[in-house]
Amino acid sequence: MANITKKVSWSGRGEERTPLLNGSEEVRYSRQSSGGSVFHIGRLSTVDLDEDITPEEDPVRSKPKEIPHNEKLLSLKYESLDYDNSENQLFLEEERRMSHMSFRCLEISRWVICGLIGFLTGLIACFIDIAVEYLAGVKYDLVKENIEKFTEVGGLSISLILWAVLNSAFVMVGALAVAFFEPVAAGSGIPQIKCYLNGVKVPRVVRLKTLLVKVFGVICSVAGGLAVGKEGPMIHSGAVVAAGVSQGRSTSLKRDFKIFEYFRRDTEKRDFVSAGAAAGVSAAFGAPVGGVLFSLEEGASFWNQMLTWRIFFASMVSTFTLNFFLSIYHKKPGELSSPGLINFGRFDMDNVQYSLYEIPLFIIMGAIGGVLGALFNVLNYWLTIFRIRYMHRPCLQVMEAMLVAAVTATVSFAMIYFSNDCQPLETVTSEDYPLQLFCADGEYNAMATAFFNTPERSVRSLFHNPPGTYNPLTLGLFTLTYFFLACWTYGLTVSAGVFIPSLLIGAAWGRLFGLLLSLMTTGKLVWADPGKYALMGAAAQLGGIVRMTLSLTVILVEATGNVTYGLPIMLVLLTAKIVGDYFIEGLYDVHIKLQSVPFLHWEAPATSHWLTAREVMSSPVTCFNRVEKVGTIVDVLSNTSTNHNGFPVIIQAAASEEPGKLCGLILRSQLIVLLKHKVFVERARSRLSQRKLQLKDFRDAYPRFPPIQSIHVSQDERECMMDLTEFMNPTPYTVPQETSLPRVFKLFRPLGLRHLVVVDDENRVVGLVTRKDLARYHLGKHGLEELHLAHT
Amino acid sequence: MSAVTGAGGGGARGSAVWWTALALIGGFVLSVRAAEESDSGDAARPLSPLLAEPSGPGLPSLHLAAKFPDDLEVSESCVEMLRLFGERYVAAVNCLVSSARPVRVCQNCYQAYSSFNDIYTNISSGQTQSGNVSCQDSLMRSDRLMLLFNLYSSLTDIWTSALCTQCLTPDQKSLTNSTLDFISYLNKSLSCFEKYQENHTELCMDCKATYKGLNEMYSTMLKNKGYCIDIEDAMNVTRRLWSKKFGCTVPREETVPVIAVSSFMLFLPVIFYLSNFLHSEQKKRKLIHPKRAKSNHSLMNIQDKFS
Repeated sequence: MANITKKVSWSGRGEERTPLLNGSEEVRYSRQSSGGSVFHIGRLSTVDLDEDITPEEDPVRSKPKEIPHNEKLLSLKYESLDYDNSENQLFLEEERRMSHMSFRCLEISRWVICGLIGFLTGLIACFIDIAVEYLAGVKYDLVKENIEKFTEVGGLSISLILWAVLNSAFVMVGALAVAFFEPVAAGSGIPQIKCYLNGVKVPRVVRLKTLLVKVFGVICSVAGGLAVGKEGPMIHSGAVVAAGVSQGRSTSLKRDFKIFEYFRRDTEKRDFVSAGAAAGVSAAFGAPVGGVLFSLEEGASFWNQMLTWRIFFASMVSTFTLNFFLSIYHKKPGELSSPGLINFGRFDMDNVQYSLYEIPLFIIMGAIGGVLGALFNVLNYWLTIFRIRYMHRPCLQVMEAMLVAAVTATVSFAMIYFSNDCQPLETVTSEDYPLQLFCADGEYNAMATAFFNTPERSVRSLFHNPPGTYNPLTLGLFTLTYFFLACWTYGLTVSAGVFIPSLLIGAAWGRLFGLLLSLMTTGKLVWADPGKYALMGAAAQLGGIVRMTLSLTVILVEATGNVTYGLPIMLVLLTAKIVGDYFIEGLYDVHIKLQSVPFLHWEAPATSHWLTAREVMSSPVTCFNRVEKVGTIVDVLSNTSTNHNGFPVIIQAAASEEPGKLCGLILRSQLIVLLKHKVFVERARSRLSQRKLQLKDFRDAYPRFPPIQSIHVSQDERECMMDLTEFMNPTPYTVPQETSLPRVFKLFRPLGLRHLVVVDDENRVVGLVTRKDLARYHLGKHGLEELHLAHT
Repeated sequence: MSAVTGAGGGGARGSAVWWTALALIGGFVLSVRAAEESDSGDAARPLSPLLAEPSGPGLPSLHLAAKFPDDLEVSESCVEMLRLFGERYVAAVNCLVSSARPVRVCQNCYQAYSSFNDIYTNISSGQTQSGNVSCQDSLMRSDRLMLLFNLYSSLTDIWTSALCTQCLTPDQKSLTNSTLDFISYLNKSLSCFEKYQENHTELCMDCKATYKGLNEMYSTMLKNKGYCIDIEDAMNVTRRLWSKKFGCTVPREETVPVIAVSSFMLFLPVIFYLSNFLHSEQKKRKLIHPKRAKSNHSLMNIQDKFS
């Protein structure tokens, strides 16, 4: 009846076509919704308001409403993960068959998998590091040579063009790969992994292809001189590795190693993905504990103590694998003391001291970081909205990325060219690319040490170069330009992280802060070297942008190898978060919202106790009988407008008009497997020899269940019956109609549910609560707001 | 300290010998000037009168430690070595100090340093020329002060941080060819500077070739790790002369083309975004209206479906 959903095609990509929403067949415009794009739910609840409007007579009904993209939407393309185990009879049988020994083996293989995850993640990090170092080395050497050649004879604008072209070329290759092969590999990947750990199935996010594009893209974008880092993507890479290794097969490569078959379901996979994310953090920053805490912070609702311990194991293995292979690369095999992709270097014991009177200063720095971070996020928010609305064609996205790369080079060059800050360099290592330009011989352009280098090296030199390496003007200009460059760069269609640019911005203004302090005060108080303030500034800026708390503190403490700064870093991050949250959410949350992901936060919105399950749920629900006709099932599954994923199974009271009583829940994926194997009552009778379906058959189809169209059901078979008793989950979670929203939420989120059946007092199905029903309520500026569902 | 006993046949008493030997070293620092020449020839010189009669008027308390048993005394050959050590140390330090500024330590002192190094190696190798007591044990391992070691290591540290070994041939007996080349080239440049001292613009023009050559030579030495503090310092001074005193830096002349190219580049994204904004179709989202239970009537729907 509704034509809005007819355009949903059953094409190509498997996961996209089955929204989890139980609804959308009937289009009813409530009176409120004809107003703005967001309607507020007042105290007057919506229960009976539209009784007088019959849907059939509503003139607007047939016209689908279109609005520009904004952050108050929920996309239909995201499904939920089935974290809740279906305890059907097959499962019980399998458990009975398994010996004590095989449970032991399972436990051991979990450890083996975690070790493998750590190892492979470390290897990937190592590969990225070496590749970036090599490519960036080639590029900077080339440009440096060119600049040196033209400094005397003239023609520096040619060097500028060379630099810009080289940057654009690198970035173009990376952006092409991302835009045309795997758009989900864009960005840092942390928002996506956050969603995945939250229980949202982001299409294609943990595939091998994504990993390849991601790694390649990161190398290109960092070597291309964009204001990005390679740390964020490591987390995504680790997660993909985990999702791949734990399944013991690759669907993309069509290889099945016949191992780890037990782990082929969402529950197990998600545990491993959290281990992979932790391993990624750990490889990126050399912070194993920080990695564990990152996973804890982002996916904590499904944790247990043994899992924590395994994740820690994966993190440790990852950081030491990276360490070991890098030590071989640096020709010091066996030296395991420089963990992590980014090495902040060690702070000497002389410089780490801080005094009580510095604490207020740190807090002020935290506040500055919060404000700057919020500014960053607001700017990036508007930019991202613009990009979503107007720049949806891949070739435009590639062009944009190339432009950003060229402008980055131009701005850097102009800054270096016009800088008069010349400083003698103490030691010139092969890692640096000092530019002399118009400085006296033996001195180097200080701006170039910050701009003409990979961002990580710049961070390190800001932390550790002795006082007097930079003058305040250089630092100020650098902060300003880099802030806007980084803000502009994040959200491009390239794989790149925001950690390092944030740290760099913060380190620059932090160092400036330290310099100004020592200029203002004369003599009495000894302000230790500006490197300390650079570190605090970096922490404040990063905290202000991403708003991570515990894990970020530990990551920074571990990355600097310095527990002494634990307290100041914590205070700085705390202040930054409080100040930043006053203005806008963290960058990752902003992007999750802009992606229209049904993300469940820790708590239900504060003022939502008056909402009950009756208002929240979708209704009516498509149900199946315990023994259902195949034709009915096929029709329901094929109906493009109702892409339901879970179906309550009911017992119909004989010959009565009453709705049936709930006796179980069955998933679309299970039904498809059943149809594929033609588990019909009639066939079972006729051919007794038929093999009984096992849990393994369901696992083999995981995670890419075939679409219903690919299953052929003949006309005769449509008349057959299917007995769902064995396969359905006999004890789905249910709530009564009067349950308040926070209560539903408390059941839903920590258990990782996908469907929650709402029943009346006689256990009859009334409605179904899914993730999108809960995620659409959020606390806006004017109280409780409701998000719209949309096709994206 | 307790283990250091009076020297065997010399009749010197107790630790006094020890202390006097040190006093002697200190004395040398102040008095001996031409240390470099003296150290090789004077090896066989008899014990100095100071050492033989240690009982100076200023040290009465030293007499208290009368005489230790024979087996704990330092053998004569060791005392001799100790004396040599002192002399060579003084020679080396003296040389270092006198070539501190401008830095010439590696060129001037490598001989003094290597002979000092030899005597230390001799002592610490543990081989004794006579008797069964090794000098290493009696001189170096007997007390917590470890004076010889500390003196040695302080000099070695200076030597290492000066990177002098990089300017010397592997046997440490002479300067490397590249160092000598560099010095001659440096002299050439300096004499060129001298020639044009009056006219800086001419200097910048005419000495450029030699100066450039010097710079290039230096950078190849940097690359090959074949430079020491002498070269580094000489280069630094020369560069400062060149850039600061004579003002021969490259002028910033291309401001206009750089600004032109930069502003063109900065203009591109503005055009890009504007054209996108104006010509690209805005992406619209189609809203979907979920089915909700509006009232209890909706129960009927379920009924309808299954009846």
